[in-house]
Amino acid sequence: MENIIEQIAACVEKGKVNKQSPFPPDMKDQDGADEIAAAALKNNIPPDVLLDGCMLGMDRIGVKFSENKVFVPELLMAAKAMNEVMKHLKPFLESGAVKHKGKFVIGTVSGDLHDIGKNLVAMTIKGSGFEIIDLGVDVPSEKFIKTIRENPGCFVGLSALLTTTMANMEKSVQAIRDHCPETKILIGGAPVNQNFCEKIGADFYSPDPQKAAEYMNRSSAGT
Amino acid sequence: MSIEVLTIIGESINDSVPSTHQLFEDSNIEGILELAKYQDEKGAKYIDVNIGLREPGFMADLVKKIQKVTSKPLSIDTPDIEIAAAGLEAYQPELANHQKPILNSISRLRLNMFDLYKNQPFIPILLTTEDVNENGESVMNHTAEATYNTAKKMMKIAEQSMDDFSNDQCILDPGIVPIGSDSEGYFKRLMESAARIHSDPDLAGVNMSVGLSNFTVMLPPKCADGSPVKSALESAFLTMAMPLGLNMVIGSVKRKYRILEESHPAMQCLSDILQLDGFDVIVRVMEFYS
Repeated sequence: MENIIEQIAACVEKGKVNKQSPFPPDMKDQDGADEIAAAALKNNIPPDVLLDGCMLGMDRIGVKFSENKVFVPELLMAAKAMNEVMKHLKPFLESGAVKHKGKFVIGTVSGDLHDIGKNLVAMTIKGSGFEIIDLGVDVPSEKFIKTIRENPGCFVGLSALLTTTMANMEKSVQAIRDHCPETKILIGGAPVNQNFCEKIGADFYSPDPQKAAEYMNRSSAGT
Repeated sequence: MSIEVLTIIGESINDSVPSTHQLFEDSNIEGILELAKYQDEKGAKYIDVNIGLREPGFMADLVKKIQKVTSKPLSIDTPDIEIAAAGLEAYQPELANHQKPILNSISRLRLNMFDLYKNQPFIPILLTTEDVNENGESVMNHTAEATYNTAKKMMKIAEQSMDDFSNDQCILDPGIVPIGSDSEGYFKRLMESAARIHSDPDLAGVNMSVGLSNFTVMLPPKCADGSPVKSALESAFLTMAMPLGLNMVIGSVKRKYRILEESHPAMQCLSDILQLDGFDVIVRVMEFYS
């Protein structure tokens, strides 16, 4: 089983999607995340083992990304490989046989249509074992609040790329605080920083996707 | 500048550039003015000024101070109409060889910015990447046709709003996205949008500009062999886009933009990407720098 975790983790970390995929060149013609996950389930490996493999792989690539050792394309390929495994896990997640660690509601704030950062964070958090509820771009505060109410105990992540939409981020954080005071709010995006996070009363500022995943893992473990 | 016919709007004075943000935070106006002077000396034709979310009065002061150290016209960069109004009002064309400032930028959601034209005529950058739907909400354009249609509409509105309108007094921004995450074919659509705009006789003479540095954000600085990633891909982009009417960029005066041979690896990379879809684009970009 250790072996399967490691094999899945290696495919995710390196972005080896399936056997056909030419990337990475040094894994050419080898089985990818797709084949390894399918074979494991066929051999009655418990599905949560596959999830552990995804988490380990995404954690490794996430750390490398925060250290500037890899860049966005590598992170995207890792997420794609992870998604191949997730396709196999979908029935188990839906039946409840495999449980998510929690839920993460994410969107870009009102007025902001830029979603690359949001997508990277969503992928990384998904790889960390959380269910993602992606509200997309230009999300009004009311929509965040409605979704939080439908998903009690969820985390919420707000993204802004523009300095001008930071004001809307502040309004959304305030509105979420007013209506759902217990919700843990994460913020991120190019113009956002720790000072701003403290000023607007969000719970966590994440400079990169991995730090957000680590924060949510800590929080959901109750430490 | 290595490409004579390319107009560079110097991008450095922008609150979203971390080092510049720090200058703003430290109230280091001298540092900001140095950026203006440096970009002027290095060949920028316009100096972009983006102060982020600061007060309109700050924009007005900064415009006045920058105009004391450069005779290049400015590009007032904000989506906020009050900051734009303050910047335009403070701007003195006579200190810039009687050239108009650029207003960066006007989108379908911000058409009221044209109201500022009567007090200070400007050259608008018209965003064509977004439009408004029937509910008045902003939506991204996801096809070249939609982008082109928005361009036509924006030019029509500009014509009605500017006294001395002519196509060459407007700049269309067809939108550029980072190539390193372009699994949805934005680059392909950008080239198609530019081609459609360029071939429309009604739009003859209109300027086209993109925020070029966006193209290569989130990529490593160097290829595995030590050659630069960003200037190569940006130059390849210019080599392909300039024949389609792109004649301006908001960009860096430090980058050595140049026209590349077709055999250059960066040119081959972008040519291949025009034929690829989805994650194959990402893989091809990685292949370029690996």
